[in-house]
Amino acid sequence: MIAFFQRKLDKIRGSGDAAVTVPSMDGALRPNQLVEEAEPICRTEQPDMICECGGEILFSTGNQVCALSDGRERYAFDTTVSALAAGSDGALAVGLANDGIRLIGGPHDGKDLAAMLGRTLNCPVALLFDGADTLFVANGSENFSPNDWKHDLMSRGQTGSVWRIDLAAGSAERLMGDLAWPFGLGLGADGLVITESWRHRVLHRTRDGGVKTPLWDLPGYPARISPASGGGWWLAVFAPRNPLIEFILREPGFRERMIEEIDPDYWAAPSLEASTTFLQPLQGGAQVHLGVVKPWAPSQSYGLVIRLDEMFRPVASQHSRADGKRHGITSVAEVDGQLLAASKGGNLVLRLMQDRGVVQT
Amino acid sequence: MAASETWAKWRYRLVPDHALGEILSKNWIDTLIPAFILVLVLIFFGTQMPNFLSAANLNDIGRIYGEYLFIAIGMTIVMMAGGIDLSVGSIFALCNFVSLALINYLELPLILGIPAVIAVGGAVGLINGILIGYLGLRAFLTTLVMLIIVRASVDMLLLDYAMIIGRGFNASLAWEFMALGNIFGIPSSLVAVVVVAVAAHLVLTRFRFGWHLMAVGGSRRSAYNAGIRVKRTVCATYVISGMLCGLASTFYAARLSSASAGVGLGLEVTILTAVVLGGISLGGGRGSIVKAALGTVIIILVQNSLIRMGLMSGASSLVLGSVLLLAVAIDVRWMKNRSKILARSYVSPTYFKLPPLPETAIGSDSPYALNDKLRGVEAIGLGELDGPEDMIFDREDNMYCGSRHGDVIRIFAPDYTRIEVFAHIGGHPLGMAFDARDNLHVCVGGMGLFMIAPDQTVTKLSDETNRSWLSIADDSRLRLADDLDIAPDGRVFFSEATVRYEMYDWMVDALEARGNGRIICYDPKDGSSRTVLPNLQLPNGICVEFEGQSLLYAETWGCRITRYWFDGPRKGQRDVVIANLPGYPDNINRASDGTYWCALCGMRSPVFDLAQRMPGFRRRMVQSVSRDDWLYPNMNTGCVIKFDKDGNVLDVLWDLGGEAHPMITSIREHKGYLYLGGIYNNRIGRYPIPDADPNWTSHDSYWGELT
Repeated sequence: MIAFFQRKLDKIRGSGDAAVTVPSMDGALRPNQLVEEAEPICRTEQPDMICECGGEILFSTGNQVCALSDGRERYAFDTTVSALAAGSDGALAVGLANDGIRLIGGPHDGKDLAAMLGRTLNCPVALLFDGADTLFVANGSENFSPNDWKHDLMSRGQTGSVWRIDLAAGSAERLMGDLAWPFGLGLGADGLVITESWRHRVLHRTRDGGVKTPLWDLPGYPARISPASGGGWWLAVFAPRNPLIEFILREPGFRERMIEEIDPDYWAAPSLEASTTFLQPLQGGAQVHLGVVKPWAPSQSYGLVIRLDEMFRPVASQHSRADGKRHGITSVAEVDGQLLAASKGGNLVLRLMQDRGVVQT
Repeated sequence: MAASETWAKWRYRLVPDHALGEILSKNWIDTLIPAFILVLVLIFFGTQMPNFLSAANLNDIGRIYGEYLFIAIGMTIVMMAGGIDLSVGSIFALCNFVSLALINYLELPLILGIPAVIAVGGAVGLINGILIGYLGLRAFLTTLVMLIIVRASVDMLLLDYAMIIGRGFNASLAWEFMALGNIFGIPSSLVAVVVVAVAAHLVLTRFRFGWHLMAVGGSRRSAYNAGIRVKRTVCATYVISGMLCGLASTFYAARLSSASAGVGLGLEVTILTAVVLGGISLGGGRGSIVKAALGTVIIILVQNSLIRMGLMSGASSLVLGSVLLLAVAIDVRWMKNRSKILARSYVSPTYFKLPPLPETAIGSDSPYALNDKLRGVEAIGLGELDGPEDMIFDREDNMYCGSRHGDVIRIFAPDYTRIEVFAHIGGHPLGMAFDARDNLHVCVGGMGLFMIAPDQTVTKLSDETNRSWLSIADDSRLRLADDLDIAPDGRVFFSEATVRYEMYDWMVDALEARGNGRIICYDPKDGSSRTVLPNLQLPNGICVEFEGQSLLYAETWGCRITRYWFDGPRKGQRDVVIANLPGYPDNINRASDGTYWCALCGMRSPVFDLAQRMPGFRRRMVQSVSRDDWLYPNMNTGCVIKFDKDGNVLDVLWDLGGEAHPMITSIREHKGYLYLGGIYNNRIGRYPIPDADPNWTSHDSYWGELT
């Protein structure tokens, strides 16, 4: 009852859940141009995930898994590769859009995970090995495939789930449900770390099953998370929150008609790529004046990598802003002493400087 | 069409949402609060007191009201200049004493006596004025001290002369008329005060002194910087207040002939409560006579009724004090939040459905298919120009364009590298046209229609048109004159993009999608301007056709081009030439081969087209999202189209990626080249037109070749 009146009051006052304001990028998130200035390593179509497997750095792009060293294809599939994870013993787990998960190499090579799960996962967007026999899976949504993430966001999806598969025993267990697009998985000292994109937060599920929220109200939609050397985490943020989009998310009538009538590429929705066509909507502050777009202009896309400490507090960040192109960073990984980031919207794999972006206070 | 959309369409067609914002932006809107309180008071006492509305009661109240209102008008004038006058009660008492002495005791004729009393009041006011205006003392303390001093003087005078003047009696009929007379049943004092109030209202709203006074109250420093004599103005307000106290006291003296010590006691609080309740801001600069009159009515009614209801005098003061406190609170809150309410309610979107968006994809067979023809066009004045919305050429091939700084800039032929300011007008010069005598006509955003002669003298041709009958806001002034063209007989047809927004806000008009703009005709024969086509959706480019009987106009938010016949057999008729453009058309100009160029300053996007069909969505967006984040038409890409008089699109020029010319607002063909301007651009582009007549100029096309 109280919650009902609270909601009504919030709606009138524009507070609480009805607030369309987004947190400002300040403190450790103070903007810079470090992603825009980073060294490009490989130009490729929509690189998504980076991982190291058997001494080789691999990345996924479209239907393929390629090696970073020569950019050549290593594995090819029938549908989009939506997640990659490497085991300690040379095993590679590959998530496929609408087609479940494949295991390549290692002791469980070729095992049928669909049988263990009792179904074929439609949206495996993050995978994580815990030792050789346990695989964690994040299924972004029950209703949409990984490529249709905009549909899930704009229909306010919260049907994501996290699974644990015991590969040796051949059993699977659903650990968490009703998540709003769990997009990244990490293994902490005390349990599983999950990024929940549509709720702009990072969850921490301890081994005893309790769930904490160590980081919340991010100014963007978090993607994958990976451990940093020396403790802490690297968090990729693939799109910014935007007051207009926040407002549209609270306008069911408009969203319904937009989803029904308009091509998703032209929606007023977060985007991986910087806008290249006039068919995409424009916000007032993003108008070109005297040939210049302001870096702080409102934008549907952005490039952001955040360095978190062990307590998940942001300590440093690297950005590609509204006037840049290297947007939509979906994964960042520290391998072989280098920090690599996949800019899915900028069609680039980048090498970032690790110790940059710390704001002196 | 879905039922909800049909509902939206009729709902927004029938309910004029924009009226609310326009009413709220009126100055008299402040009066609504006292008017509302007055209604409450009337209802309350009307039902609580049986003979409250009887003629006798109203006549009594009206007589006292007349006397009070004189003083309230004086207080209003003082407060509007940013001051306060607490000495009104004492001055009133002094003048009452003087009236009785001069008119009753000395039996001076009224024609001498009344001016003398007014002069006494004015003299005390002058002391106030000198102390506050010229010596810079605090108004509150000074008039408080004056209250005490004058009151003490009156008491001393009464001590010595009360008995003497009490014996006096003036038998003149005029004096009796002032006391008891009516004109058509209206008490004499009320008639006199109406005359004074009308005069004061005219002075405040229509005369220089009134404007100076409001400027001083609004911002003393700005008024000083603007050259207003602040000290003299402030001083004058106290003199006026004192004189009006004197005038009021003569009516009081005539009516009561009372020389008691209680005259005018506490009057300053009553009057102050009245004017503040009426909405005269304590901060100065805001108020009107009407408000003072309303506030005074309320106070009189409350005070009078409370006495008649038998409240003890202490309780009556308590009520009065509470009302003053409430009035001050309302004044402060209203002043603080008025602009917020206005900002929330001014933008009022309406329903607008465009036809399906035409295809623009590369390789499609659409006439608008993307290409790269404008890539790498030559840039003129790069970095030196700021906002050349339009450009034009004179007979010597020199180019003219506007700038955001209010200049008309001349760029010299043949290499277009030497730049000078041809004339400074102000505003933002937009569309341009030459007449037959080489006078440059310019539409200046924010100012109106101007003409620059070849010798660089600037003449204002028009800054207003006829006011439309049903508009709430005064739409006679030109806010955003945009583009123009000149008919063969010299009449100038120009567009005013919107009557609801200023130059810097023009794009907000897109969120309304209402026909807020108009086309106006200026006739040089008699210098008059008349609106010929009202209610257009941001009318922009105007081009008189080759035959000289019709013109083409572009409606930017309507995404269409229409022909209007201003002469010939079809005079007054309109027909749509292009109904469904893929973008927002801006200026239209003639091409050398008998066709027309049109610049599209921005392109339609499916999301914005959808939003145009959902006015409620746009209204809520404006209310809850900050301005920079609003959804706008996409103005970061533009193109140029060429079309014939039947509306067939013959060619389209794109700058893919929009790097050099993100937004194209104007085009002008001149000797084989097409020149490109943009209101947010820092250059003018120059594109060689394949197969164009290398000798064609628009000047010759309009006015013939020089012989």
